[in-house]
Amino acid sequence: MLFSELILAIMKPLNRQRTISSPYHLIKGKKSGQTIQDIGYFGLYPYFGIFPKLDKKAYDQVIKSLFSQGYLLANEQVIELTEKAINTSISDTPLNGWKYRGNEILFFNRLSLIVQTLSHMSQSVKIFDPIVNNEEIQMWVKKYLQQIQFRDLAVVQAFKKELFTTLADSAISETHKMILTERLTGLALSGLTWQQIATSKKLSVLDVQLMTVEALHSWMAEIEKSKPPLLLGLMEGVIQQSSLTATAQRTEKLFERGFTLEQIASLRQLKTSTIEDHVVELAMNDPYFNFKSFMSQELYKAIIIESKSQQSKRLRDIKEHLPDASYFQIRLALSIKEENQ
Amino acid sequence: MNLEELLYSTYGFSSFRPGQKEIIEKVIAGEDVIALLPTGMGKSICYQLPAKILPDSVLIVSPLLSLMQDQVAQLKKMGEKSVVAINSFLKPEDKDRVMNNLGSYKFIFISPEMLVQPFIKKKLQEIRVSLLVADEAHCISQWGFDFRPDYLRISEVLPILKFPQVLALTATATDKVTNEIKEYLALIKPYVYCHPMDRKNIVYDIKKFEDNREKLEFLRAFIQKFKGPGIIYAGTRKKSQELSMLLTEQGISSAYYHGGMEHQDRVFVQQQFQNEEVEWICSTNAFGMGVHIPNIRQVIHFQVPTSIEGYVQEVGRAGRDGLPALATLLYAQGDEALLESLVMDDLPTKHEIAAVFNGGSSATHLIDQGIVRETAFRVIAYWMTKLPLAGVTSQIEQLRIGKRQQASKIRELITRDGCLRSYIISCFDQQLINKPDNCCVNDGIEYGVFEAFSYSEKKPIPLDWQGRLSVILPI
Repeated sequence: MLFSELILAIMKPLNRQRTISSPYHLIKGKKSGQTIQDIGYFGLYPYFGIFPKLDKKAYDQVIKSLFSQGYLLANEQVIELTEKAINTSISDTPLNGWKYRGNEILFFNRLSLIVQTLSHMSQSVKIFDPIVNNEEIQMWVKKYLQQIQFRDLAVVQAFKKELFTTLADSAISETHKMILTERLTGLALSGLTWQQIATSKKLSVLDVQLMTVEALHSWMAEIEKSKPPLLLGLMEGVIQQSSLTATAQRTEKLFERGFTLEQIASLRQLKTSTIEDHVVELAMNDPYFNFKSFMSQELYKAIIIESKSQQSKRLRDIKEHLPDASYFQIRLALSIKEENQ
Repeated sequence: MNLEELLYSTYGFSSFRPGQKEIIEKVIAGEDVIALLPTGMGKSICYQLPAKILPDSVLIVSPLLSLMQDQVAQLKKMGEKSVVAINSFLKPEDKDRVMNNLGSYKFIFISPEMLVQPFIKKKLQEIRVSLLVADEAHCISQWGFDFRPDYLRISEVLPILKFPQVLALTATATDKVTNEIKEYLALIKPYVYCHPMDRKNIVYDIKKFEDNREKLEFLRAFIQKFKGPGIIYAGTRKKSQELSMLLTEQGISSAYYHGGMEHQDRVFVQQQFQNEEVEWICSTNAFGMGVHIPNIRQVIHFQVPTSIEGYVQEVGRAGRDGLPALATLLYAQGDEALLESLVMDDLPTKHEIAAVFNGGSSATHLIDQGIVRETAFRVIAYWMTKLPLAGVTSQIEQLRIGKRQQASKIRELITRDGCLRSYIISCFDQQLINKPDNCCVNDGIEYGVFEAFSYSEKKPIPLDWQGRLSVILPI
């Protein structure tokens, strides 16, 4: 998937309902109520937090080229896609941003340092400049290497074999796999800079960075599935046990103990609207979420029907026809996974 | 154990480079030392080895963050664990632990800004320091090409440390600068080691052009004729990228390097150059520190350097193996105007001086608001503590004169008819003994020797991911 394609993939469901910068917040992984609930409303789980360091200027540049290539129409308020954009088909992607939350970088940094160390040590070179200078990762890798007894050449061979097998079994293109290995470095072969990789493939730096994230998500899924003993160790702490943000988890605990939203807000010294954001997040993540304490079954149904008939998830549109529903109730109803209710 | 044995057991080297042994012997004997050693001559060994023998901590004041990080990394690479760096990168959660155990570290690196913090001073009073090292000691000199006002304040900690033994290290210093180092560090009778500045195997060339376009044309032909490994110094990040692209278009392998790249990309480029996977590096002056490649054959300055000292350091990265190396400076008409503005740019203006005087030395909001530039602020704020307004103004005026001299030295280099080699070393108050046959453009250069060098063809780069992994992990 190319970067511009990624933006289109996100913009399609958001068309005429959200602003032009909302895809930016989504891929940056912004943890605001709005961004989090949009993920649920619009089914944008794959794209959350896949570019934590994305530069706004770089994003704006891509938006500019989408305009000049006739994918976007000028609109002050919301995204407005052209026919051409709507008819563009989006290729399948192994992205799973909601699950990995930017932690693929942790996985890959560990891997890079391990591969570099094994490459040198197995060829009897003990001194080299570490490719990762983050001390936490260095300590982690040191411990890991001691645990697997990395001085044993048989272990290095087993590690290499796991790399080959799991990468071969990952459902991504050969180009994806090539890019990944071009970011690895060893004694007799150096890694390549983002610019070098991009130039050699006639792509942009953002394109190859996106492909790297895709490759990592696919590879990590394969490692979780086939559970190779050595590589599986690298997944430690990479996957969050709960898909909730930490702050929503705290709200969940208090809610389960019977506090009202207002009480939770005053206990946590947060605004009630923030706590409402958390409830929406809980609803998104829990297929059996019980909304009864927030609205009646009738109101829930009415909101869903209204949203469908208008083909819109804009709160204002719905509120106009259902003045008795609060904005919070509308947001909550829209975030609930319908098939389970 | 004698020094050679210690050197071998610590670094695996069987002999010292010129100058190292004399310096180390004096340090171990307890003398103050000022050592002028060119870059790449192993300056850090001069305190690392004595540290093995001296009883207490070695305190190294290092003015450049990147340099400090590099030296810490080098020490750790050698297996030394008792190292700590006190600078703005030190995390708050580590600070207490480090500070409470400060005396237990063998090597304490510190930035001049941190050195004069009251709580640091207090801690320093409690620990025992065998040796104070002033690295890049020329920064002490207000005449030097990178004067750092905070560096002058090293003298404030000397009494706190009970006047320890001092080792001042620098790659470039004139007599004037050496005298200032003596004065500011209160060294009474230091041993001064002065390494000959002249590098016989480096040939100095200057090419003059009408404009930038002609420079590019020259460069295109040059890289076809002369082989690397080589460095092309560009003035800006953008230029370094453009030049690298130009080389790639000519089918010559190259990579660009500058401080704006992420850490991993920079390490990759260094490795590629070291592994001879790329022939040329196009870089800002960020490239070079921590890079130890003996066979660099070419150094090109695409833009006029801003000081002789900087020029000599950059050129000095070539030919460490002792074989001939060519230094080519490209000059186009009008470059000196650019040079002047670059050099003068750092200096505080009258407005800035007035603003800082009115605001006081803690008025850092002037920097945030863009009224005073950061370096200008540091210079003014320092002098304000020492002098009244008129004094500061005249001090800055002195600096301006110094800077102008610095620029005029470069101009002299470009316009000179006589021997460039003897001119360059005369800038460091040394005299040329033994002029090599192949010397400089004004005495005629024999290019044949450089044309004769070949660049070893790089090993075939694997074309698929399986191939790459097999080369990285060949077992």
